[in-house]
Amino acid sequence: MSEFVQIVLSGLATGSIYALAAIGFTLLWQASQTINFAQGEFVMLPAFFVLVGMHVIGLPMLVSIALALVLSLLVLGLAFKKLVIEPMLPHGTLPIVMATIALGLLMKEAVKEFYSAEAQPFPALVPGDTIRLFGATISAQDLANLAISMLAVLALQLFLNGTRTGRSMQATAQNPAVAEILGVNIKRMVLYTFLINAALAAIASILISPIYLAKFSNGESLGLVAFIAAIVGGFNQIRGALVGGLLIGVIDNLAATYVSAQYRAAVPLILLIIIILVRPQGILGKAEGRAV
Amino acid sequence: MLELKDLYGGYGKMTILNGVSFKIDRATITTLIGPNGAGKSTVFKAIFGLLSIHSGEVLLEGKDVTRSRPSEMIAHGVTYVPQGRNVVPQLSVYHNLELGGITAKDQSTVKRRIDEVMDQFPILREKRNEPAIALSGGQQKQLEIARALLLDPKLILIDEPSIGLSPNLVQEVFQTLIRLRDNGVTVLMVEQNARSALAMSDFGIVLELGQARMHDRADKLLNDPRVGQLFLGGSMEAAE
Repeated sequence: MSEFVQIVLSGLATGSIYALAAIGFTLLWQASQTINFAQGEFVMLPAFFVLVGMHVIGLPMLVSIALALVLSLLVLGLAFKKLVIEPMLPHGTLPIVMATIALGLLMKEAVKEFYSAEAQPFPALVPGDTIRLFGATISAQDLANLAISMLAVLALQLFLNGTRTGRSMQATAQNPAVAEILGVNIKRMVLYTFLINAALAAIASILISPIYLAKFSNGESLGLVAFIAAIVGGFNQIRGALVGGLLIGVIDNLAATYVSAQYRAAVPLILLIIIILVRPQGILGKAEGRAV
Repeated sequence: MLELKDLYGGYGKMTILNGVSFKIDRATITTLIGPNGAGKSTVFKAIFGLLSIHSGEVLLEGKDVTRSRPSEMIAHGVTYVPQGRNVVPQLSVYHNLELGGITAKDQSTVKRRIDEVMDQFPILREKRNEPAIALSGGQQKQLEIARALLLDPKLILIDEPSIGLSPNLVQEVFQTLIRLRDNGVTVLMVEQNARSALAMSDFGIVLELGQARMHDRADKLLNDPRVGQLFLGGSMEAAE
């Protein structure tokens, strides 16, 4: 039993990081019909901003993290919107998909070329102690990851539901035509969404890199997992992406322990196929009637 | 109050308005009627900054507001209720109303106004915490009108308010518009239910092929045989 609890808890910890990437993914979709196939690379890159800060410039870890956050907002938020999405938006969803795939490749190859092709050790925010909880042994790092991701999600929800700006963002996502006639500054709301996605990606990156090590190719699996989590949970729902991310983390961990570690990579895909067959709108999703 | 001068405009290269000109007075209700594709809704979009205007002018109380953006038109005291469903589905009724005042600097006034419009539309107070999508079609329309009233507009552009409403609710909406007019608000309306709309309007404008063909008192238009045959449900054969 204690082993089970342990596996579920550490699955939740990883899953909550997937959820951050998945939530960003759905936010971008809602606000601007952007399907960001570079989302995995968005989670890969900020870790390298931190490494550049620490090892190239020689800054302390926390300063490097702050720097990475700012750079992520500028590059993955502002520049991504202005230089990639805005010029492609008038051409429809498919060109955006292709552009983001290209961007993902560019980011991956750039990191490989200009930093390193080797996996890089990445400093953890908390020491590697373990804690006894419900008879299970769980690492302090897992607990910290779970707590930080959940706090980030909670803060996001409070912002979206509890502030006028957040509600204007919801209006922009749910009914842009109405938001416009009510005088909501739509461009600014969409920009906020891109900045939030960048921040979520940066947080996910800093939390997951101590576990997976920082590597140029990390985005491949992370992007896929974020995408699947978003679909499994319900593509048009933040709560859906959260549930999807957590679910994949837990199932992945359970499968690795009780079934076979070799097949663990297949588990999210199997889940995806089942969900698409049984409940295509996702676990919490609503069937989407998009007006022309 | 509002004057359109020789307005040309459309979507991209497609021109829909071909020199619309008319003038409406303060504290009146004017209904735009005309066949499908005459440009009725397009006139609203042109006034409200949602259409590319090729030439011509929109004057509001003598001031040139041509090509003003929606947020600027709101600041000028104009609100727009488009046809169809225009609520933010997952936000509560209260927060939908709040969006009607999103451009206002003073949010305490907005709070007070939300209270006042909920007095006018009691159903909205009753359902204030429910998501807007949970309201019936008629209630959603009331929500949209209430939201458009939030900033005490001088001019309301309302497009097809009767679509999807029961006859009782249509009368209720019309009564609301009359009450607004009596309080000094100017109403410009497009309505497919032209006969009953003209019956409660002060003036009517017949729009055809993107131009204002006739502009007269509503009762005169109602009794004009040409209008009757073409736009009020008379047979086309009789008109030919």
